[in-house]
Amino acid sequence: MKILAIALNTFGGFLRNKLMILCFALFVCVVLLMMTPLAGLKMVATAENAQEMQQTVMQIIGVIIMFVSAAGSLLAAWAAADAVYSEMKSGTVLAVMARPVRRWEYLLGKYLGVEMLMLVYVLMMFCLSYILAWIGGEKIQSTPWVLIAYPLVRWSIYSAIAMLLVTVFHSIVAFGITMVISVLALRLAPSEGGAHLLPESMRAAIYAVLPSTGLLSEDRFFTITQASLKQLTWAAHLTTLTYGLDYALVFLLLAMWSFHYRGLSRD
Amino acid sequence: MTTPAIEFREVTKVYKKRLLGQEIAALTNVSFEVAQGEVCAFLGPNGAGKTTSIGLLMGFHYADYGEIRVLGEIPGDVRAKQKIGFLPENFAFYKYMKAPGLLRFHAQLAGVTPQEAATLIPDLLYKVKLNGYEGLKVSKYSRGMVQRLGIAQALLSDPQLMVLDEPTSGLDPAGRKEVRDTILALKAAGKTIFLSSHILSEVEQICDRVIIVDRGRMVRSGTLNEMLGAGDRVEIVVDQVAEELERTLVESGATVERGEHGVRIGAPTARKRELAEMLWAAGCDVVSIVPIRNSLEELFLKVVGDDGRPFGGTPS
Repeated sequence: MKILAIALNTFGGFLRNKLMILCFALFVCVVLLMMTPLAGLKMVATAENAQEMQQTVMQIIGVIIMFVSAAGSLLAAWAAADAVYSEMKSGTVLAVMARPVRRWEYLLGKYLGVEMLMLVYVLMMFCLSYILAWIGGEKIQSTPWVLIAYPLVRWSIYSAIAMLLVTVFHSIVAFGITMVISVLALRLAPSEGGAHLLPESMRAAIYAVLPSTGLLSEDRFFTITQASLKQLTWAAHLTTLTYGLDYALVFLLLAMWSFHYRGLSRD
Repeated sequence: MTTPAIEFREVTKVYKKRLLGQEIAALTNVSFEVAQGEVCAFLGPNGAGKTTSIGLLMGFHYADYGEIRVLGEIPGDVRAKQKIGFLPENFAFYKYMKAPGLLRFHAQLAGVTPQEAATLIPDLLYKVKLNGYEGLKVSKYSRGMVQRLGIAQALLSDPQLMVLDEPTSGLDPAGRKEVRDTILALKAAGKTIFLSSHILSEVEQICDRVIIVDRGRMVRSGTLNEMLGAGDRVEIVVDQVAEELERTLVESGATVERGEHGVRIGAPTARKRELAEMLWAAGCDVVSIVPIRNSLEELFLKVVGDDGRPFGGTPS
Protein backbone atom coordinates (compact mmCIF):
# COMPACT_ATOMS: atom_id res chain seq x y z
CA MET A 1 0.00 0.00 0.00
CA LYS A 2 2.77 2.42 0.99
CA ILE A 3 4.87 1.40 -2.02
CA LEU A 4 1.88 1.87 -4.32
CA ALA A 5 1.13 5.29 -2.78
CA ILE A 6 4.73 6.40 -3.40
CA ALA A 7 4.65 4.97 -6.95
CA LEU A 8 1.39 6.72 -7.84
CA ASN A 9 2.62 9.96 -6.29
CA THR A 10 5.85 9.73 -8.31
CA PHE A 11 3.93 9.01 -11.51
CA GLY A 12 1.50 11.87 -10.79
CA GLY A 13 4.47 14.16 -10.19
CA PHE A 14 5.91 13.31 -13.62
CA LEU A 15 2.64 14.05 -15.36
CA ARG A 16 2.57 17.49 -13.72
CA ASN A 17 6.27 18.22 -14.22
CA LYS A 18 6.50 21.39 -16.32
CA LEU A 19 9.90 20.47 -17.77
CA MET A 20 8.57 17.09 -18.80
CA ILE A 21 5.46 18.58 -20.40
CA LEU A 22 7.65 21.03 -22.34
CA CYS A 23 10.04 18.29 -23.51
CA PHE A 24 7.10 16.11 -24.51
CA ALA A 25 5.58 18.95 -26.55
CA LEU A 26 8.93 19.48 -28.30
CA PHE A 27 9.27 15.75 -28.87
CA VAL A 28 5.81 15.55 -30.50
CA CYS A 29 6.69 18.51 -32.74
CA VAL A 30 9.95 16.85 -33.83
CA VAL A 31 8.18 13.54 -34.58
CA LEU A 32 5.49 15.34 -36.58
CA LEU A 33 8.14 17.26 -38.51
CA MET A 34 9.94 14.00 -39.26
CA MET A 35 6.68 12.48 -40.46
CA THR A 36 5.87 15.35 -42.83
CA PRO A 37 8.11 14.10 -45.70
CA LEU A 38 6.34 10.73 -45.60
CA ALA A 39 3.06 12.15 -46.88
CA GLY A 40 4.91 14.13 -49.57
CA LEU A 41 6.85 11.10 -50.76
CA LYS A 42 3.71 9.00 -50.98
CA MET A 43 2.07 11.67 -53.14
CA VAL A 44 4.96 12.04 -55.63
CA ALA A 45 5.36 8.29 -55.98
CA THR A 46 4.74 7.02 -59.54
CA ALA A 47 4.79 3.57 -61.08
CA GLU A 48 8.41 4.13 -62.22
CA ASN A 49 9.87 5.28 -58.89
CA ALA A 50 7.56 3.35 -56.55
CA GLN A 51 10.24 0.98 -55.29
CA GLU A 52 12.76 3.76 -54.73
CA MET A 53 10.16 5.88 -52.90
CA GLN A 54 9.15 2.95 -50.73
CA GLN A 55 12.78 2.46 -49.74
CA THR A 56 13.08 6.14 -48.76
CA VAL A 57 9.83 5.94 -46.78
CA MET A 58 11.13 2.93 -44.86
CA GLN A 59 14.40 4.72 -44.14
CA ILE A 60 12.55 7.71 -42.72
CA ILE A 61 10.38 5.42 -40.61
CA GLY A 62 13.51 3.65 -39.34
CA VAL A 63 15.01 7.00 -38.28
CA ILE A 64 11.80 8.04 -36.51
CA ILE A 65 11.61 4.75 -34.62
CA MET A 66 15.28 5.01 -33.63
CA PHE A 67 14.73 8.60 -32.47
CA VAL A 68 11.68 7.66 -30.39
CA SER A 69 13.51 4.69 -28.92
CA ALA A 70 16.58 6.77 -28.02
CA ALA A 71 14.30 9.36 -26.42
CA GLY A 72 12.85 6.52 -24.34
CA SER A 73 16.33 5.67 -23.00
CA LEU A 74 16.87 9.35 -22.15
CA LEU A 75 13.50 9.51 -20.45
CA ALA A 76 14.10 6.35 -18.39
CA ALA A 77 17.46 7.60 -17.12
CA TRP A 78 16.29 11.16 -16.48
CA ALA A 79 13.03 10.16 -14.77
CA ALA A 80 14.79 7.71 -12.43
CA ALA A 81 17.55 10.17 -11.51
CA ASP A 82 15.11 13.04 -11.04
CA ALA A 83 12.54 11.05 -9.07
CA VAL A 84 14.99 10.59 -6.21
CA TYR A 85 17.16 13.68 -6.56
CA SER A 86 14.30 16.21 -6.75
CA GLU A 87 12.94 14.92 -3.44
CA MET A 88 16.36 15.20 -1.83
CA LYS A 89 16.76 18.71 -3.20
CA SER A 90 13.36 19.98 -2.14
CA GLY A 91 13.40 18.19 1.20
CA THR A 92 10.09 16.35 0.66
CA VAL A 93 12.02 13.12 1.30
CA LEU A 94 12.33 14.11 4.98
CA ALA A 95 8.58 14.31 5.56
CA VAL A 96 8.06 11.04 3.66
CA MET A 97 10.86 9.15 5.41
CA ALA A 98 9.59 10.35 8.79
CA ARG A 99 6.60 8.11 8.11
CA PRO A 100 6.76 4.39 8.89
CA VAL A 101 8.35 3.71 5.50
CA ARG A 102 11.51 1.65 5.05
CA ARG A 103 14.16 3.03 2.77
CA TRP A 104 13.88 0.14 0.32
CA GLU A 105 10.10 0.63 0.19
CA TYR A 106 10.62 4.28 -0.70
CA LEU A 107 13.09 3.48 -3.48
CA LEU A 108 10.96 0.66 -4.84
CA GLY A 109 7.95 3.00 -4.91
CA LYS A 110 9.99 5.57 -6.82
CA TYR A 111 11.20 2.91 -9.26
CA LEU A 112 7.68 1.63 -9.90
CA GLY A 113 6.54 5.22 -10.50
CA VAL A 114 9.24 5.53 -13.18
CA GLU A 115 8.18 2.21 -14.71
CA MET A 116 4.55 3.42 -14.86
CA LEU A 117 5.76 6.43 -16.84
CA MET A 118 7.82 4.21 -19.14
CA LEU A 119 4.81 1.93 -19.70
CA VAL A 120 2.80 4.93 -20.89
CA TYR A 121 5.70 5.90 -23.17
CA VAL A 122 6.00 2.35 -24.56
CA LEU A 123 2.28 2.25 -25.32
CA MET A 124 2.58 5.56 -27.15
CA MET A 125 5.57 4.24 -29.07
CA PHE A 126 3.63 1.09 -29.87
CA CYS A 127 0.78 3.14 -31.37
CA LEU A 128 3.29 5.26 -33.30
CA SER A 129 4.89 2.11 -34.78
CA TYR A 130 1.53 0.98 -36.15
CA ILE A 131 0.75 4.47 -37.51
CA LEU A 132 4.14 4.58 -39.25
CA ALA A 133 3.70 1.07 -40.63
CA TRP A 134 0.30 2.08 -41.99
CA ILE A 135 1.75 5.25 -43.58
CA GLY A 136 4.58 3.24 -45.09
CA GLY A 137 2.18 0.62 -46.39
CA GLU A 138 4.01 -2.14 -44.49
CA LYS A 139 3.06 -4.65 -41.85
CA ILE A 140 4.65 -4.79 -38.39
CA GLN A 141 6.86 -7.86 -38.44
CA SER A 142 7.03 -8.38 -34.67
CA THR A 143 4.17 -9.63 -32.53
CA PRO A 144 2.62 -6.79 -30.45
CA TRP A 145 3.78 -7.95 -27.01
CA VAL A 146 7.40 -7.93 -28.19
CA LEU A 147 7.09 -4.24 -29.08
CA ILE A 148 5.96 -3.56 -25.52
CA ALA A 149 7.98 -6.00 -23.37
CA TYR A 150 11.44 -5.57 -24.88
CA PRO A 151 11.73 -1.78 -24.68
CA LEU A 152 10.16 -1.81 -21.23
CA VAL A 153 12.74 -4.30 -19.96
CA ARG A 154 15.62 -2.43 -21.60
CA TRP A 155 14.50 0.88 -20.06
CA SER A 156 13.94 -0.74 -16.69
CA ILE A 157 17.68 -1.55 -16.74
CA TYR A 158 18.62 2.04 -17.54
CA SER A 159 16.30 3.44 -14.88
CA ALA A 160 17.75 1.02 -12.30
CA ILE A 161 21.30 2.10 -13.23
CA ALA A 162 20.33 5.78 -12.97
CA MET A 163 18.64 5.14 -9.62
CA LEU A 164 21.77 3.46 -8.28
CA LEU A 165 23.98 6.31 -9.47
CA VAL A 166 21.72 9.04 -8.06
CA THR A 167 22.07 7.57 -4.58
CA VAL A 168 25.72 8.64 -4.80
CA PHE A 169 25.97 11.44 -7.39
CA HIS A 170 24.10 14.53 -8.52
CA SER A 171 21.20 13.71 -10.86
CA ILE A 172 22.96 15.25 -13.89
CA VAL A 173 26.05 13.09 -13.31
CA ALA A 174 23.86 10.00 -12.81
CA PHE A 175 21.96 10.79 -16.00
CA GLY A 176 25.19 11.40 -17.94
CA ILE A 177 26.85 8.17 -16.81
CA THR A 178 23.71 6.17 -17.64
CA MET A 179 23.65 7.70 -21.10
CA VAL A 180 27.32 6.85 -21.68
CA ILE A 181 26.57 3.27 -20.63
CA SER A 182 23.59 3.08 -22.99
CA VAL A 183 25.64 4.42 -25.93
CA LEU A 184 28.48 2.01 -25.12
CA ALA A 185 26.02 -0.86 -24.90
CA LEU A 186 24.63 0.09 -28.28
CA ARG A 187 27.98 0.61 -29.99
CA LEU A 188 29.57 -2.52 -28.52
CA ALA A 189 26.68 -4.81 -29.36
CA PRO A 190 27.91 -7.97 -31.12
CA SER A 191 26.07 -6.90 -34.26
CA GLU A 192 28.02 -3.61 -34.34
CA GLY A 193 31.50 -3.34 -35.78
CA GLY A 194 33.02 -1.34 -32.92
CA ALA A 195 33.33 -4.27 -30.54
CA HIS A 196 35.61 -6.24 -32.88
CA LEU A 197 38.39 -3.71 -32.40
CA LEU A 198 38.66 -4.73 -28.73
CA PRO A 199 40.57 -7.78 -27.44
CA GLU A 200 38.48 -10.87 -26.80
CA SER A 201 38.86 -10.74 -23.01
CA MET A 202 37.75 -7.10 -22.87
CA ARG A 203 34.81 -7.86 -25.14
CA ALA A 204 33.73 -10.71 -22.89
CA ALA A 205 34.00 -8.49 -19.81
CA ILE A 206 31.97 -5.72 -21.46
CA TYR A 207 29.26 -8.15 -22.56
CA ALA A 208 29.08 -9.46 -19.01
CA VAL A 209 28.75 -6.01 -17.45
CA LEU A 210 26.90 -3.82 -19.93
CA PRO A 211 23.23 -4.45 -20.52
CA SER A 212 21.60 -4.50 -23.88
CA THR A 213 24.71 -5.61 -25.75
CA GLY A 214 22.85 -7.88 -28.05
CA LEU A 215 20.24 -9.70 -26.08
CA LEU A 216 18.01 -6.66 -25.75
CA SER A 217 19.37 -4.84 -28.76
CA GLU A 218 16.52 -3.06 -30.41
CA ASP A 219 17.65 -3.52 -33.99
CA ARG A 220 16.56 -7.15 -33.69
CA PHE A 221 12.91 -6.35 -33.33
CA PHE A 222 12.25 -2.69 -33.99
CA THR A 223 12.76 -2.46 -37.71
CA ILE A 224 9.38 -2.80 -39.29
CA THR A 225 10.70 -4.54 -42.39
CA GLN A 226 12.95 -7.06 -40.63
CA ALA A 227 12.40 -8.34 -37.15
CA SER A 228 14.76 -11.19 -36.35
CA LEU A 229 13.07 -11.69 -32.96
CA LYS A 230 9.96 -12.88 -34.74
CA GLN A 231 11.66 -16.17 -35.39
CA LEU A 232 12.66 -16.71 -31.75
CA THR A 233 11.06 -19.42 -29.67
CA TRP A 234 9.21 -18.70 -26.42
CA ALA A 235 12.15 -20.15 -24.48
CA ALA A 236 14.52 -17.71 -26.18
CA HIS A 237 12.21 -14.79 -25.48
CA LEU A 238 11.93 -15.84 -21.85
CA THR A 239 15.69 -16.20 -21.47
CA THR A 240 16.31 -12.80 -23.04
CA LEU A 241 13.75 -10.97 -20.94
CA THR A 242 14.76 -12.76 -17.74
CA TYR A 243 18.35 -11.82 -18.42
CA GLY A 244 17.30 -8.19 -18.84
CA LEU A 245 15.13 -8.18 -15.73
CA ASP A 246 17.98 -9.79 -13.81
CA TYR A 247 20.20 -6.84 -14.76
CA ALA A 248 17.51 -4.40 -13.61
CA LEU A 249 17.00 -6.26 -10.34
CA VAL A 250 20.70 -6.35 -9.52
CA PHE A 251 21.06 -2.61 -10.10
CA LEU A 252 17.89 -1.90 -8.14
CA LEU A 253 19.10 -3.99 -5.19
CA LEU A 254 22.44 -2.16 -5.30
CA ALA A 255 20.53 1.14 -5.36
CA MET A 256 18.52 0.06 -2.28
CA TRP A 257 21.69 -0.94 -0.47
CA SER A 258 23.39 2.35 -1.33
CA PHE A 259 20.30 4.40 -0.40
CA HIS A 260 20.04 2.60 2.94
CA TYR A 261 23.43 3.90 4.02
CA ARG A 262 23.28 7.44 2.68
CA GLY A 263 22.36 10.37 4.87
CA LEU A 264 19.08 12.09 4.09
CA SER A 265 19.10 15.84 4.12
CA ARG A 266 18.00 18.76 2.03
CA ASP A 267 20.74 18.97 -0.61
CA MET B 1 10.35 2.55 35.16
CA THR B 2 8.99 3.79 31.85
CA THR B 3 11.21 3.86 28.79
CA PRO B 4 12.46 7.38 28.02
CA ALA B 5 10.99 8.86 24.86
CA ILE B 6 14.46 9.83 23.61
CA GLU B 7 17.88 8.62 24.75
CA PHE B 8 21.22 9.84 23.42
CA ARG B 9 24.27 8.13 24.91
CA GLU B 10 27.73 9.45 24.05
CA VAL B 11 26.61 10.17 20.50
CA THR B 12 29.23 11.35 18.03
CA LYS B 13 28.62 12.23 14.42
CA VAL B 14 31.40 13.18 12.04
CA TYR B 15 30.76 14.33 8.49
CA LYS B 16 33.50 13.23 6.14
CA LYS B 17 34.38 15.00 2.91
CA ARG B 18 36.23 12.15 1.27
CA LEU B 19 37.54 14.06 -1.73
CA LEU B 20 38.99 16.84 0.40
CA GLY B 21 40.01 14.50 3.21
CA GLN B 22 38.18 16.73 5.71
CA GLU B 23 36.27 15.66 8.79
CA ILE B 24 33.74 17.89 10.54
CA ALA B 25 32.56 16.83 13.97
CA ALA B 26 28.88 17.77 14.07
CA LEU B 27 28.26 16.14 17.45
CA THR B 28 30.72 14.99 20.10
CA ASN B 29 29.73 12.73 22.99
CA VAL B 30 26.24 14.12 23.35
CA SER B 31 24.13 12.43 26.03
CA PHE B 32 20.65 13.31 27.23
CA GLU B 33 17.29 11.80 27.99
CA VAL B 34 13.77 13.07 27.45
CA ALA B 35 11.10 11.42 29.58
CA GLN B 36 7.71 10.51 28.18
CA GLY B 37 5.20 13.33 28.55
CA GLU B 38 7.85 16.06 28.69
CA VAL B 39 8.09 19.11 26.47
CA CYS B 40 11.79 19.48 25.73
CA ALA B 41 13.43 22.37 23.91
CA PHE B 42 16.63 21.75 21.99
CA LEU B 43 18.55 24.99 21.69
CA GLY B 44 21.80 26.11 20.19
CA PRO B 45 23.33 28.69 17.87
CA ASN B 46 24.05 28.15 14.18
CA GLY B 47 25.92 24.96 13.39
CA ALA B 48 25.57 23.73 16.97
CA GLY B 49 24.34 20.31 15.81
CA LYS B 50 20.60 20.65 16.38
CA THR B 51 19.49 19.61 12.89
CA THR B 52 22.05 16.79 12.90
CA SER B 53 20.68 15.56 16.23
CA ILE B 54 17.12 15.65 14.91
CA GLY B 55 18.31 13.87 11.75
CA LEU B 56 19.91 11.14 13.88
CA LEU B 57 16.79 10.87 15.98
CA MET B 58 14.60 10.43 12.90
CA GLY B 59 16.97 7.93 11.29
CA PHE B 60 18.00 10.27 8.46
CA HIS B 61 21.65 9.93 9.46
CA TYR B 62 23.65 7.32 11.34
CA ALA B 63 25.75 8.08 14.40
CA ASP B 64 29.43 7.19 14.18
CA TYR B 65 29.63 6.33 17.88
CA GLY B 66 27.19 6.07 20.73
CA GLU B 67 23.67 4.83 21.05
CA ILE B 68 20.30 6.39 20.32
CA ARG B 69 16.89 5.06 21.26
CA VAL B 70 13.57 6.58 20.29
CA LEU B 71 10.59 5.20 22.21
CA GLY B 72 12.81 2.24 22.98
CA GLU B 73 13.61 1.51 19.33
CA ILE B 74 16.52 2.20 17.00
CA PRO B 75 16.05 5.46 15.03
CA GLY B 76 14.44 4.83 11.66
CA ASP B 77 12.67 1.68 12.87
CA VAL B 78 9.14 1.69 11.47
CA ARG B 79 7.73 0.73 14.91
CA ALA B 80 9.16 3.96 16.33
CA LYS B 81 8.23 6.04 13.28
CA GLN B 82 4.64 4.83 13.60
CA LYS B 83 4.45 6.76 16.88
CA ILE B 84 6.32 9.90 15.79
CA GLY B 85 4.94 13.06 14.24
CA PHE B 86 7.68 15.08 12.56
CA LEU B 87 7.70 18.64 11.34
CA PRO B 88 10.92 19.42 9.43
CA GLU B 89 12.40 22.88 9.36
CA ASN B 90 10.82 24.67 6.35
CA PHE B 91 8.32 21.92 5.64
CA ALA B 92 8.63 20.93 1.96
CA PHE B 93 5.65 19.77 -0.06
CA TYR B 94 4.68 18.55 -3.51
CA LYS B 95 3.85 21.78 -5.28
CA TYR B 96 1.13 20.35 -7.46
CA MET B 97 -0.87 18.98 -4.55
CA LYS B 98 -3.72 20.49 -2.56
CA ALA B 99 -3.85 20.19 1.22
CA PRO B 100 -6.35 17.29 1.40
CA GLY B 101 -4.39 15.35 -1.25
CA LEU B 102 -1.11 15.88 0.58
CA LEU B 103 -2.62 14.78 3.87
CA ARG B 104 -4.22 11.75 2.17
CA PHE B 105 -0.80 10.75 0.80
CA HIS B 106 0.79 11.08 4.24
CA ALA B 107 -2.15 9.22 5.79
CA GLN B 108 -1.54 6.31 3.40
CA LEU B 109 2.13 6.24 4.39
CA ALA B 110 1.20 6.43 8.07
CA GLY B 111 -1.09 3.43 7.69
CA VAL B 112 -4.29 5.42 8.34
CA THR B 113 -7.23 3.73 6.61
CA PRO B 114 -9.08 5.72 3.91
CA GLN B 115 -12.22 5.68 6.12
CA GLU B 116 -10.31 7.16 9.07
CA ALA B 117 -8.58 9.66 6.80
CA ALA B 118 -11.93 10.85 5.42
CA THR B 119 -12.95 12.17 8.85
CA LEU B 120 -9.50 12.95 10.22
CA ILE B 121 -8.31 15.22 7.38
CA PRO B 122 -11.18 17.78 7.52
CA ASP B 123 -10.81 17.85 11.32
CA LEU B 124 -7.08 18.53 11.10
CA LEU B 125 -7.55 21.22 8.45
CA TYR B 126 -10.10 22.86 10.72
CA LYS B 127 -7.74 22.57 13.69
CA VAL B 128 -4.92 24.35 11.85
CA LYS B 129 -7.37 26.85 10.33
CA LEU B 130 -6.87 25.74 6.73
CA ASN B 131 -10.50 24.79 6.15
CA GLY B 132 -11.79 26.82 3.23
CA TYR B 133 -8.46 26.50 1.40
CA GLU B 134 -8.93 22.88 0.32
CA GLY B 135 -9.22 23.84 -3.36
CA LEU B 136 -6.01 25.87 -3.41
CA LYS B 137 -2.69 24.31 -4.44
CA VAL B 138 -0.17 24.21 -1.61
CA SER B 139 2.27 26.17 -3.81
CA LYS B 140 -0.11 29.15 -3.50
CA TYR B 141 -0.09 29.02 0.32
CA SER B 142 1.71 31.62 2.42
CA ARG B 143 4.64 30.46 4.54
CA GLY B 144 2.49 30.46 7.64
CA MET B 145 -0.17 28.33 5.93
CA VAL B 146 2.48 25.84 4.79
CA GLN B 147 3.80 25.66 8.34
CA ARG B 148 0.30 25.01 9.67
CA LEU B 149 -0.17 22.30 7.03
CA GLY B 150 3.12 20.78 8.19
CA ILE B 151 1.79 20.69 11.74
CA ALA B 152 -1.41 19.02 10.48
CA GLN B 153 0.59 16.27 8.75
CA ALA B 154 2.66 15.76 11.89
CA LEU B 155 -0.54 15.21 13.87
CA LEU B 156 -1.98 12.72 11.35
CA SER B 157 -1.22 9.46 13.09
CA ASP B 158 -2.00 10.61 16.65
CA PRO B 159 1.71 10.46 17.54
CA GLN B 160 3.12 9.66 20.94
CA LEU B 161 6.22 11.77 20.25
CA MET B 162 6.25 15.00 18.29
CA VAL B 163 9.56 16.18 16.85
CA LEU B 164 9.22 19.78 15.75
CA ASP B 165 12.05 21.62 14.05
CA GLU B 166 11.25 25.34 14.27
CA PRO B 167 7.47 24.91 14.57
CA THR B 168 6.70 28.63 14.72
CA SER B 169 9.02 29.63 11.89
CA GLY B 170 7.22 31.93 9.46
CA LEU B 171 4.14 32.37 11.59
CA ASP B 172 2.64 35.69 12.67
CA PRO B 173 2.06 36.33 16.40
CA ALA B 174 -1.47 34.91 16.24
CA GLY B 175 -0.20 31.82 14.41
CA ARG B 176 2.58 31.40 16.96
CA LYS B 177 0.06 31.52 19.77
CA GLU B 178 -2.03 28.86 18.02
CA VAL B 179 1.01 26.59 17.73
CA ARG B 180 1.84 27.22 21.39
CA ASP B 181 -1.72 26.33 22.35
CA THR B 182 -1.56 23.19 20.18
CA ILE B 183 1.69 22.14 21.86
CA LEU B 184 0.21 22.77 25.32
CA ALA B 185 -2.90 20.76 24.36
CA LEU B 186 -0.67 17.90 23.21
CA LYS B 187 1.27 18.12 26.44
CA ALA B 188 -1.97 17.97 28.39
CA ALA B 189 -2.86 14.84 26.40
CA GLY B 190 0.36 13.23 27.65
CA LYS B 191 2.37 13.50 24.42
CA THR B 192 6.11 14.00 24.42
CA ILE B 193 7.33 17.00 22.46
CA PHE B 194 10.89 17.59 21.32
CA LEU B 195 11.31 20.93 19.62
CA SER B 196 14.00 23.24 18.42
CA SER B 197 13.22 26.92 18.33
CA HIS B 198 14.97 30.22 18.22
CA ILE B 199 12.16 32.09 19.93
CA LEU B 200 13.35 31.63 23.50
CA SER B 201 10.47 33.52 25.11
CA GLU B 202 8.09 30.94 23.63
CA VAL B 203 10.25 28.03 24.70
CA GLU B 204 10.16 29.42 28.22
CA GLN B 205 6.37 29.40 28.18
CA ILE B 206 5.84 25.83 27.05
CA CYS B 207 8.85 23.68 27.93
CA ASP B 208 9.61 21.52 30.94
CA ARG B 209 13.17 20.68 29.94
CA VAL B 210 15.87 22.50 28.01
CA ILE B 211 18.95 21.11 26.31
CA ILE B 212 21.54 23.55 24.99
CA VAL B 213 24.17 22.46 22.48
CA ASP B 214 27.05 24.46 21.12
CA ARG B 215 29.70 23.47 18.58
CA GLY B 216 28.47 19.88 18.66
CA ARG B 217 28.68 19.49 22.42
CA MET B 218 25.97 19.56 25.02
CA VAL B 219 26.63 22.53 27.27
CA ARG B 220 23.58 22.51 29.55
CA SER B 221 20.62 20.26 30.23
CA GLY B 222 17.94 20.28 32.87
CA THR B 223 14.42 21.25 33.77
CA LEU B 224 13.47 24.85 33.17
CA ASN B 225 13.24 25.50 36.92
CA GLU B 226 16.71 24.05 37.47
CA MET B 227 18.11 26.10 34.65
CA LEU B 228 16.47 29.41 35.47
CA GLY B 229 16.69 29.08 39.24
CA ALA B 230 13.04 29.81 39.92
CA GLY B 231 12.30 30.76 43.51
CA ASP B 232 15.84 31.74 44.59
CA ARG B 233 15.11 35.45 44.68
CA VAL B 234 12.07 37.71 44.86
CA GLU B 235 11.35 41.20 43.68
CA ILE B 236 9.30 43.48 45.96
CA VAL B 237 7.86 46.55 44.31
CA VAL B 238 6.87 49.46 46.59
CA ASP B 239 5.62 52.99 45.86
CA GLN B 240 8.52 54.74 47.63
CA VAL B 241 11.37 54.13 50.04
CA ALA B 242 13.01 56.64 52.32
CA GLU B 243 16.76 57.10 51.73
CA GLU B 244 17.62 55.86 55.21
CA LEU B 245 15.63 52.66 54.69
CA GLU B 246 17.26 52.21 51.27
CA ARG B 247 20.72 52.32 52.89
CA THR B 248 19.59 49.75 55.46
CA LEU B 249 18.26 47.48 52.74
CA VAL B 250 21.45 47.72 50.66
CA GLU B 251 23.62 47.09 53.70
CA SER B 252 21.57 43.94 54.42
CA GLY B 253 22.33 42.59 50.92
CA ALA B 254 19.19 43.61 49.01
CA THR B 255 19.27 45.46 45.72
CA VAL B 256 17.28 48.67 45.30
CA GLU B 257 16.38 50.16 41.97
CA ARG B 258 14.32 53.31 41.65
CA GLY B 259 12.12 53.65 38.59
CA GLU B 260 9.20 55.59 37.19
CA HIS B 261 6.66 53.13 38.52
CA GLY B 262 8.06 52.66 42.00
CA VAL B 263 11.04 51.12 43.72
CA ARG B 264 12.12 47.52 42.98
CA ILE B 265 13.82 45.67 45.77
CA GLY B 266 15.56 42.37 45.00
CA ALA B 267 16.35 39.94 47.82
CA PRO B 268 16.71 36.22 48.56
CA THR B 269 13.37 34.41 48.83
CA ALA B 270 14.16 33.47 52.44
CA ARG B 271 14.02 37.16 53.42
CA LYS B 272 10.73 37.87 51.62
CA ARG B 273 8.55 38.03 54.76
CA GLU B 274 11.11 39.94 56.87
CA LEU B 275 11.58 42.64 54.21
CA ALA B 276 7.88 42.94 53.43
CA GLU B 277 7.11 43.47 57.11
CA MET B 278 9.95 45.99 57.41
CA LEU B 279 8.59 47.94 54.40
CA TRP B 280 4.99 47.87 55.74
CA ALA B 281 6.22 49.05 59.10
CA ALA B 282 8.08 51.96 57.43
CA GLY B 283 4.82 53.03 55.76
CA CYS B 284 5.64 51.85 52.24
CA ASP B 285 2.83 50.61 50.04
CA VAL B 286 3.85 47.15 48.79
CA VAL B 287 2.58 46.90 45.22
CA SER B 288 3.77 43.36 44.38
CA ILE B 289 6.02 40.51 45.47
CA VAL B 290 7.08 38.22 42.62
CA PRO B 291 9.76 35.52 42.29
CA ILE B 292 12.72 36.60 40.15
CA ARG B 293 13.59 34.22 37.32
CA ASN B 294 16.44 34.61 34.90
CA SER B 295 15.19 34.71 31.32
CA LEU B 296 16.11 31.81 29.06
CA GLU B 297 17.67 34.29 26.67
CA GLU B 298 20.03 35.57 29.37
CA LEU B 299 20.95 32.02 30.30
CA PHE B 300 21.42 31.04 26.67
CA LEU B 301 23.75 33.93 25.94
CA LYS B 302 25.67 33.23 29.14
CA VAL B 303 26.07 29.55 28.26
CA VAL B 304 26.93 29.74 24.57
CA GLY B 305 28.64 33.12 24.76
CA ASP B 306 27.54 36.20 22.90
CA ASP B 307 30.33 36.06 20.38
CA GLY B 308 28.44 37.77 17.62
CA ARG B 309 27.48 34.60 15.79
CA PRO B 310 24.10 34.95 14.13
CA PHE B 311 21.19 33.34 15.91
CA GLY B 312 18.90 31.71 13.41
CA GLY B 313 18.85 28.84 10.92
CA THR B 314 20.73 25.65 11.48
CA PRO B 315 22.53 24.44 8.37
CA SER B 316 24.76 21.56 9.33
